[in-house]
Order: sequence, then C-alpha cells, then structure tokens
Amino acid sequence: MGDFKYIGKYYERPDAVKKAIGKAIFIDDIRLPEMLFAEILTPPLAHARIVSVDTSEAEKSKGVVKVVTGAQCNITFGDCVRDRYPMAKDKVRYIGDPVAAVIADSVYNAREAVKKIKVEYEKLPIYIDALDAIKEDAVLIHEKNGEYWHVPSYQPIPKTNIAMRYALIKGDVEKGFKEADELVEGEFVYPFGSSSAIETHGTIAWFHEDKTIEIWSSSICPTIIQEDIARTYGRPVSDVRVHIPEIGGCFGYKSDVTIEQTVAYIASFVPGKPVKWIASREQDFTSTLIGHGVRIRMKLGAKRNGKLVAIKSTVYHSVGAYADTGVNVTQAAIHTVGPYEIPNAHLEGFSVYTNTPPVGAYRGYGYQYPHFAIERLLNMLARKLGMDELELRSINYLSAGKETVLGEKIWKTNGDVKKCADNVKEALFTGPKPKEDDKYYYGRGFAAVIKGPKGTPNSGKGCYMKLNIDGSVTVIMGGAEVGQGLRTVVRQVTAEALKIPPEKVRAYMELDTDFSPWEWQTIGSMFTTQGGRAIMLAADRLIKQMKKNASYALKCDEDMLDYDGEFVYLRSDPSVRVAVTDIARGYMTENGITVGEVVQATSAGRLPRYSSPDPETGRGNLGVNYTFGAQGCEIKIEKETGKVIIDNFISSFDIGRVINPVQLRGQIVGGVMMGIGATLHEQLKFDENGKILNPHFSVYRFPTIKDAPTKQTVIYVETPDGVGPFGARGIGEHPVLGVAPAILNAIYDAIGVDFFYVPVTPDKIKKALEEKKAKEVAQ
Amino acid sequence: MSERINFTVNGVKKSVEIDGWEKLLDVLREYLNLTGAKRGCDDGTCGACTVIVNGEAVKSCLFPAKKLEGTDIVTIEGLSKEGTNHIQRALIDSGAVQCGFCTPGIVTELSVLFTKNPEATEEQIKETLSKHLCRCTGYESILEGAKVAQKKLEDAKTSQK
Repeated sequence: MGDFKYIGKYYERPDAVKKAIGKAIFIDDIRLPEMLFAEILTPPLAHARIVSVDTSEAEKSKGVVKVVTGAQCNITFGDCVRDRYPMAKDKVRYIGDPVAAVIADSVYNAREAVKKIKVEYEKLPIYIDALDAIKEDAVLIHEKNGEYWHVPSYQPIPKTNIAMRYALIKGDVEKGFKEADELVEGEFVYPFGSSSAIETHGTIAWFHEDKTIEIWSSSICPTIIQEDIARTYGRPVSDVRVHIPEIGGCFGYKSDVTIEQTVAYIASFVPGKPVKWIASREQDFTSTLIGHGVRIRMKLGAKRNGKLVAIKSTVYHSVGAYADTGVNVTQAAIHTVGPYEIPNAHLEGFSVYTNTPPVGAYRGYGYQYPHFAIERLLNMLARKLGMDELELRSINYLSAGKETVLGEKIWKTNGDVKKCADNVKEALFTGPKPKEDDKYYYGRGFAAVIKGPKGTPNSGKGCYMKLNIDGSVTVIMGGAEVGQGLRTVVRQVTAEALKIPPEKVRAYMELDTDFSPWEWQTIGSMFTTQGGRAIMLAADRLIKQMKKNASYALKCDEDMLDYDGEFVYLRSDPSVRVAVTDIARGYMTENGITVGEVVQATSAGRLPRYSSPDPETGRGNLGVNYTFGAQGCEIKIEKETGKVIIDNFISSFDIGRVINPVQLRGQIVGGVMMGIGATLHEQLKFDENGKILNPHFSVYRFPTIKDAPTKQTVIYVETPDGVGPFGARGIGEHPVLGVAPAILNAIYDAIGVDFFYVPVTPDKIKKALEEKKAKEVAQ
Repeated sequence: MSERINFTVNGVKKSVEIDGWEKLLDVLREYLNLTGAKRGCDDGTCGACTVIVNGEAVKSCLFPAKKLEGTDIVTIEGLSKEGTNHIQRALIDSGAVQCGFCTPGIVTELSVLFTKNPEATEEQIKETLSKHLCRCTGYESILEGAKVAQKKLEDAKTSQK
C-alpha cells in the first residue's frame, strides 16, 4: 500500500523547535497582570473531622492578600460522580485534601503564611486498601454516598464505602466451570502509582469584573472544566473561557477535573485578580490524581484441548477519597478479558472509597489489570495443560465474527492479533534461550493485548478547517497535545486528504474554548481515530466548497470537476481550471462581484453505535474500535542482586496504518518503558496515617536511562481500520498493557517462581530465590 | 534581609535583589523572566532545571542564589540565540522531543558534556543522561539524538579546521 504521499513518512513535529529552545509556553510560564499566588494547606491525617481552623496569624503574614477556608463552601463537583469539594468543609478524606489556602503576592509569601494556619483535627479510622474500607464495620468515608449526582448507569451502595458496583455477565459462568477440565486462579495486585509527568499540574483562575471566568490549566479536558465551572458558579457555559497551553506530559492524570475547581474557588475570593497555583512535586503526588490501586481475583477454566470456557473475576479498586475519576477506571478494568473469546463470564467490580488520593486515569485506563491477571493465568494454565503457551492463546484469539466479553462482534477491520503474536514469536522464541551461567538466570515471556476506547456514547472530536488565500490550510481542533504528537497527525492526515504538502498545513498550537471546536476529552488513544475521521469529513466538505466556487468560475456543474491540491479542473479537459487560491473567499468575477462561499468547513468524528451498558448484564457497544498487539521480552536476572535486566523487549501492534513512523515508535518505546516502571520499580507507599512516604522523584524512582532495555524491537501489522483516517488506529495506551505479564512470565521462565504482585523489585526476587532454595534443600 | 547580587546571564550583566531563600531557578524564572529552565521536582532529581554555571551543568533548583555573585550563567535561551544548535537539531530529528518539558535541561547537559568531553563514550553519555528524567520517550531517542549530536559537533569542528 505504498500509494500515500504524506502518510507513513517522518515529518517534524510543529512544536519541536519551540520546545527544544525553551520557548514553548507551559502553564507555569504564564504571567498575567496583577497575578497573585495561592498556596494550599493539606492535613497531616488522611481521615479526620475538622474541629477548628484559625487563620489569624496567617492573615498578618507578609504579602498576604486573603486567607480562604472551606467553612462556607457548599460546592460539590465532578464529571461522573459529583462527590468532590473544592475545599474541605467539615472533614478531610485524604492527605491532599485542601483545608485552607493563602493568596499572596508571591509563592514564597503564600507558602510561609500557610504554615501559620492552625487546624485542630479529630482523627477518624484511616483505610488505605479497599479490602479494609469494604468491611461491614468500616466507618463511612462519605456519609452521603448514594446521594451525590452521578452518571445514571452507575450503582453506588449507600451506607457502605462502595461508590460503585458494576458487573458484566455473559453466558453461564458456573455451567462453564463445570465443563472445564482445568482451572487456574490467582489474586493479582497493581498498587498505587503516579503518572508522574515531568511537568506538575497547575491552574490559573481569574474571576473578571464582568462576571466571566477565565481559566488556564495543564488539563487535557478544557470542555469538561468549562462546563463544570459554569455549573458551579451559575454562569452560562459560554461565559467560562478555558485556555490550555503546552502540556508537559499527561499519561492520564491530567484528565477530568482535578485541581481547577479548588483554584477557582480560591480565586473567587479575589475577583478581578488572576490567581495561580502550580503543584510542587510533592503536591503533584498528594493532591492531584494517582493511578491503579487494583486488586483482582481471577479464575479461568479451560477444556483439555485448551479451549477457554469460563472466566470469573472480582476487582477491588481502591479509588481514593473521591470516586469521580476512578469509577470509569474500575469499569474499564472489567471491560476486557484480553484478546480472547470466552463464552461464559462473570466479571464484577467495586469502586471503593479509601483515604488515599483520588485515583484517575493512568495510561492503559484500567485495561492493564485484567491483562496482567489473564496473561499470567494463561502462562500457568499452559503449564497445567502441558501446552505451548502461544498455541494455547492462539486457539482462543478473537478474530472476525467472534464476540468480545462486552458482546461486540469483532470485525475484520479491527485487525489481527494472531499476526502480531506470530511476529513476536518469530523475533523471540525461534532460537534456544541462553543457559543459566554463574552470573545470570535467563527467561522469556509473552503477552497478547487488546484495547478499545473508554468513552461515552456522545464522545467525539470537532474540527474547523479553512483554506487560506495562498492555498495553505489552517486546521483547528480541540485535541490536547501532551507530547503524543497529535499535531503531526493533524498535519499529515490533512495533507493527504487535501493533496497538499504538510508544510502548507498549520495545526493549531493551543486550546481556547472561545475558539477551539468542541472535543469531549483527549483520552483513550482516540484522537487519531476520531480526530482523524473528523479531519477526513472536514476535508471532504472543504473540497466540495472549492468545487462549488469553481463551478461559477468554470461555468459547469460541480460533479464534472476534480481537484488536485492546486487546481479545480474539468475532468474531461484539465486545461479548463481555476487555482484554489482564486476561489478561497468565493469566486470574484471580472467586475469584482463575488459569488460562492468562503472555503471553510466544520465537522466532528465519533465511533459507530457506542452505547451505554445494559443495566442487567453490563454489556454494550464501545464502538468496536480496537488495537490488537502482542509483546514479549528476553530478560536476565542477576543472581547476586536479584535485578531484572531486559535484553530485548518486543512489541508488535496492528496499527492499521503507520502515519508517522518516528512518532509511532516513540509512543511504543516510551509506553513500554512506563510499563517497565510499574512492573519493576514504582509504588506509592503510605503510612498508617495515610501519608505518602515517597512523594518525591528521589524516592519514587521511575526508570532512568540506566533501566532502559538494552534493545526494543517494534514490528507493525497494517490491517486497515474501518473508522480511522486511511485505516489508522490508536496506540497511545496499548504499549503498557502487556509489559507486566510478559516480564513476570519471563521471570517464571528464568527462575520458576510465579509472581502475582507488581512491582517485582530485586529484594523480592532474592527472597523468592532463597525460599525456593530452602524448599529444595528441605525436599 | 535583602541582598544584591551581580552576575552574568547569557552574556548580559545582571544585578538582582534577593531575599536569601531563593535558588538559582527562582531567580531565573521569577526575577529575570527566563522560563526555559523548567521546574519538575525541586529535589535535584529530574534535571529539567539544568543550566550552566561557570561551565558546569548545574541543577538550578538546588543552587542557592546567594552563591551567584560573580558567576557566569548560560541558560537554554543563551544556547538558542541563533535558533536550534546541533544538539537541539539532532534531538528533534531523532524524535527525542515529545512533551518537551525535559528537553531544555537535556540540551544544556549535553552541551556541557560535549564541550568538556567531545569524545565521550556511549557509557559516559548514558551516565550523564541518567541525571535526567523523561517520562515520554523511554530514552531510546534521547540517546540516539545525543550520539547524532556528538557526530554533528565533531563534523562541524573538522570542517572549521
């Protein structure tokens, strides 16, 4: 399929130079007239009643303009569950809950003053793990659980700490298990972690004298913020303007509404003045969103021939002090059982309030947890059945006509997981693995993956496209660029669709709700697919308008015309033509009278037939838009230290169509690295007061260059997608999905020990090796 | 307890009044409006705030402003006076710029490395880059970009001779 001019080639990111020379404007680089600075007080305990707040000393502190508390705050907010407060009123529920704030003339003065606020607390029981918070005698973290407004399809359980229960039921799971010849089960834990972009969260809020509200934020969801703030302050949505500057990485936790409502609440006390709050690294860990917190118990049944017949799983999700951003992740964690057809399933999930920071999106959005469980269980099942584990997977793979656990029939245009698996097999499992030597154990592991979007039925992406007077084209969309490179996708897809070089396509460089077209949120690896579709639709309309204008110039019907990027011409005689530059603003006749319309177009793209889940079975249609893949690795384990060294990590994805090979590889290699962090290094640790013990990069160690695999291999399959532009699919989240199970399967291969929890740190491996040795000696 | 300090930034003499608590990063970003150096961690781990002090790569979030008297500072703005240099170009071409938040620090770090040690080995380059955190790239493209930059700088030197 080499007939593309601009798709499948490298083009430089339009933001690259500004970023490389330090001139890209991020939230903390914005300076506004008379800008003030906020600092927020957080509690020393993760669950406590507020007895009293004394701000008198803080008010006298140098440079202080205003001290704000939550005493009079009656605002609740949230996108899915309205259980959040901009500032605590009578109790705190986690270590990052805002209790009070100081507005001052400098960050330093605000921080100094905040230390002078005195708060008396009455300690309440603190729950870090869902299993504790779910106990019958547990104290309620939210007395009003069940009373908060929430998305209709969610089911909170009042008078418990369960913010949502969700079940997905297919076939008859008990009957399925009866038919099974072999069973495997396990409890898998993916502990709390942080998306940890290098840029922390930040917001500027400005309540103007004319009653309009202006917000700048590091968020990827301007529309959600705009609507939530407008509702909170009783303003028309159109009176709230949200700007999004460059974003220094997201990886999930800058989605939904996070800190914006708190900063807006603080700023509402000083109308007329912009108020800025930028999270310190510690606050970024404690007071924004964290990830994971998932315990998943899974049982899998198979026939002797390897055919999977039943799966049961229960997900206990510690969603933190507020469930608004976590409930969807819980749902997503039971929306998949990996790229397999399993006829009988009972999957149940509980979003449980805990006294930890709210859990939100994290690259992979819930999908990494069931993948972790099932890909480990398949490895164990293969051993029980005496089968090759790739063969076992192979007979169960989803393919055209087969049905996902949600009840969607897979289309041929969804891609080919088998081809991806074969690529990994060929690259990894052809030769013999190295034999154990004095220094190392060697192992190889595999995992297959699938992910669709987690959206909402009306989620979509808008596009505005205009033809400029010189034939260049400006494209404005609402997608947030966080580094993933969507601006390059916009340029290349537009260029291909309009047959003009990418250099003549200007992609928007910032988001501003006054100017940007509507976009739901830039999440779920959906921009290329949905946004690309919007671009294709807009390009079609743009060409149609050009033809209409040309029809006046060439005095013929529109359907007789063709377009080649520079000219609109008569199909039967291309010498009869008009340049696009002459019809950009309509067609001007000899005496100046202009006919036709300005060449511009709007459009929006969404996924087909995306539905709400059925209330009985939890099943539904998520747009049948999937990216399949397979991942594998060769590792060695250092005997002396227990350290895992990854010699080669292989990923093969059915990407549909490669748009920009450099960016695509960057997404995959970077995503794998993030998965390695979660698998081998990262974990947020809490003490009994709910305090995070490692809220700094020096102690929350995500991988450095020294932890990178010696080599990463990336292989593409290109089965064109039915929705995405030129057949392209999403890839942003998928590379993290198979990393943990592939590495843990490789660890088993190397040392014969099954791990069920991540991160598998060197001390855990050393301990396991010692235990194994002791056991062998005892025998 | 304010104090006046005099130093040079990107070749221009500066005189700044400080309170005493400030770090170099505060002086650059808040007092001099040079926002190219980024604040990522505040404990000297991420490297996004790296600038050059008297020829050495320094994490400016840890460097006390009080010690600035008489120093010669070069920031990413100073390295980019003529647009992109060889290091920036190589990093861009290798796909090492994604969100871009860590990029100025890495450009600055590599600039010092290749000035002091033009023939740095891959191990030495890795050692130097291990002082920087990047959450986007997985480091592959950064290492590739660094090696390409090293070659470009070498070629440029050879052609000058």
